[in-house]
Amino acid sequence: MLRSHGHFTIFLLFVLMGGLCSACNVVRVTLNTPLTPDDVAFIVPGQTTLLEVIDRLGSPDSINNSETGIVSVHRFLDMKYARVNFGWLAKPWSPVDPDLIFSRTGFGTDAFQVFYDSNGIVVQHSFLRHVIDRPFHPYPF
Amino acid sequence: MRFFQPFLFLAVVAILIQGCAFSRGTLGDDIKTEAVSSITKGVTTKTEVLTLLGAPDRVLPLNGRDVYQYYRYDAKAGSLLLILINFSRLSVKGDDLFVMLNQNGIVEEVLSSKRTENLEFRFWPFGE
Repeated sequence: MLRSHGHFTIFLLFVLMGGLCSACNVVRVTLNTPLTPDDVAFIVPGQTTLLEVIDRLGSPDSINNSETGIVSVHRFLDMKYARVNFGWLAKPWSPVDPDLIFSRTGFGTDAFQVFYDSNGIVVQHSFLRHVIDRPFHPYPF
Repeated sequence: MRFFQPFLFLAVVAILIQGCAFSRGTLGDDIKTEAVSSITKGVTTKTEVLTLLGAPDRVLPLNGRDVYQYYRYDAKAGSLLLILINFSRLSVKGDDLFVMLNQNGIVEEVLSSKRTENLEFRFWPFGE
């Protein structure tokens, strides 16, 4: 009896784990290669040139006029989406198709801007936002 | 029991791995490397650039100069659809080419990078 009770508990645990994990979705979308402060540490204002920046980071997504000369923008995105449907727990015992969905999306959009003078020498550079590398997190509250 | 273990393993794998999906999308024409390498700074003219590469996707005015921008985007998505959990990953990268022309219509600078060359189908959303 004790042994069969143990088997039943294990079975229930598997069902519970299956129910918890089912309908879990983990999605990631990346646009270009996300840049970190380490990736751009080589840039020294007053020394580094436009060609050196492009050689290391690739060509920018846009180049525009600025008061000092030109500004280049490297855009990137690292979107993370996680979703859990707890309604699956009740599916085997419910006549309807219940859903209790928790999901969360972190867009992680950012851009790296570099300002150059008219000779193509870096004047200043900065990230548009300071996106922190967040983990996948379905809890929305 | 040992006889059934491989079948059990295969059955579990078959149940878990019920589906995979591959998708791909592109935007714009391929920027030919040979055409880009044939552009010579200080020599190639605006007309020759247009003949080699076609009309640019964008024309940017930059401190009195014209800049032709050509771009192409490539997206690759992989999904691993398990019964218990689904993993998906979409990677998008772009090739960009900027051709800077001086006021006489001669190429002054060429900036290009091919980021789509190393683009791979990936399922696993964690890590890099």
